[in-house]
Amino acid sequence: MNATPFSGIEGSDHAVLLLHGLSSSPLELRFLARLLADEGFATHTPELPGYSAGTGHQPMEQWISAAIAEFDRLAARHRHVSICGLSMGATLAAAVAHERPAARALLLLSITLNYDGWAIPWYRFLLDYVYYTPLRSRYRYREQEPYGLRNEALRSKIARAMQKNDISEVGPAFIGLPALHEAGRLAGSVTKKLKGIGTDCLIIHAIDDETSSPHNARFVGTTIGASFLRTIWLDDSYHMITSDNEREVVARECALFLRESVAATVSSHNPAPVVSRALARRLRQLATVARKA
Amino acid sequence: MEVINSRRWAPRGRNRWIAAAAALGAAAIIRAILHPLLGPFMPGTAFLIAAVLVEYYCGLAPALCVMLLGLCLADYLFVPPYGHIDVIDASDLHLLISYPLLTILIISLVERLRRAQYRAELLAAVAQSRYEMLLRHDNERLLARRATDEMHRMLRHIAQYHRSLILIKALDPANSLPPGSFVAAAATATPNALVDDASLHAGIAYCAKHTQVHEEDLAHVRVHLTPGHHRMRFLSGARDDWRPVECVCDRFTTSSGEFLVLRADD
Repeated sequence: MNATPFSGIEGSDHAVLLLHGLSSSPLELRFLARLLADEGFATHTPELPGYSAGTGHQPMEQWISAAIAEFDRLAARHRHVSICGLSMGATLAAAVAHERPAARALLLLSITLNYDGWAIPWYRFLLDYVYYTPLRSRYRYREQEPYGLRNEALRSKIARAMQKNDISEVGPAFIGLPALHEAGRLAGSVTKKLKGIGTDCLIIHAIDDETSSPHNARFVGTTIGASFLRTIWLDDSYHMITSDNEREVVARECALFLRESVAATVSSHNPAPVVSRALARRLRQLATVARKA
Repeated sequence: MEVINSRRWAPRGRNRWIAAAAALGAAAIIRAILHPLLGPFMPGTAFLIAAVLVEYYCGLAPALCVMLLGLCLADYLFVPPYGHIDVIDASDLHLLISYPLLTILIISLVERLRRAQYRAELLAAVAQSRYEMLLRHDNERLLARRATDEMHRMLRHIAQYHRSLILIKALDPANSLPPGSFVAAAATATPNALVDDASLHAGIAYCAKHTQVHEEDLAHVRVHLTPGHHRMRFLSGARDDWRPVECVCDRFTTSSGEFLVLRADD
């Protein structure tokens, strides 16, 4: 397990474990990590064996164990540890939160339980069966436009990077079948565990996510057992919301939610004050709706 | 605004296929029950209704399957000669043309409306998220403004009463940003101010009047200072001649932390 150059884990009592997407690298969380560090959070974006790009193949149980080990390392040094994941990293983060209920908050960005966005080809389900054929080690799923990006300038830059290298700052050019198969197993396992996750949860998802449709976020929102749950929908991004047009909104809302989570639970005698009357009204409305539900 | 995912409005999973199969079976059973009454009249209507309901609740693919299977069942079971599919006459042609045409037309309209409905729901969810973000940021802005106003009030207070100040205490030195330097700055602005390492660490700065206060009273307020009125012993001229003086403690919740300012109410 390697720490990336932009890991900063000293000088704060609140650390955030950032988990990147499947077969990708911590580069895709660079902007978010930097902003969280500026806001006073310690951030750690590890590479996990078998899960990150260029680290071989491991079953998904090993991914979870490696992520839990990283969580425990942070928990030994910091008072609060939150978990944040992007794409399949969000699914992995939910698995870690299930095993470590002491996690302060869980940030699920573009969570992927099913690859069912508009850019996923209709024959995608056949890949589940191809895994059991000799093609398993030969076939690789190739990432194609729009590469999770609505921002066209960034998309062309990524397209050039993908042609030169096997990986870019928004993910890998190819994903192997074994990794996809393990990701499917992980998603299936997390789907069953969601009810048992009580950690404060923030879900951020783009309505036009080309990889995982809004059904994923809706399912998590209605199933997860968290009492403090917030869902934010974006309309000017695709799947890679930490790099796309609304990355500043994503980072700001993550930081705000982390602060609110600490204020709402640890300092329950002195929670974050609500002085805006409009916000107070809105919170009362939401509480009424929640009671009726 | 186009939302490409609006075409993915239908629920996922195998349940929708089970529901579609159940709808097809129910349509066949109902039509079979009514067969003695209807005879060869309207052989595809039950399947048309089933296909439209499946389209509304389960999506396009199951609806098309129900339509195609319904066409086969209707032609086989309810178009004379019953139980034969190899004989094609006017009745078969009538069914083969009218039933798919009508069903596809209705299914297409329902699909279009469902996509528009899903798109509207997604956009409404975005609007709601943005409204709540706006409210949260407005709250943050109001909090920051309130803290800034309080800081200004505290600075005015210190400037106005600097000759009668006894001490300034940070309520939470660990979380004040930064309490020590703020208290030190306030203290050095007043004559006879004292900031030693221990008091600075504890977030306390002694001001002009503290030298006249009885040591026991000073030790008491150092630990148990609360906002409000306090009576303290002040040195009055001769040695060991103490007189009671009313003192006032004010609380300030600023952007740099919470502070208590104690002054003699001269």
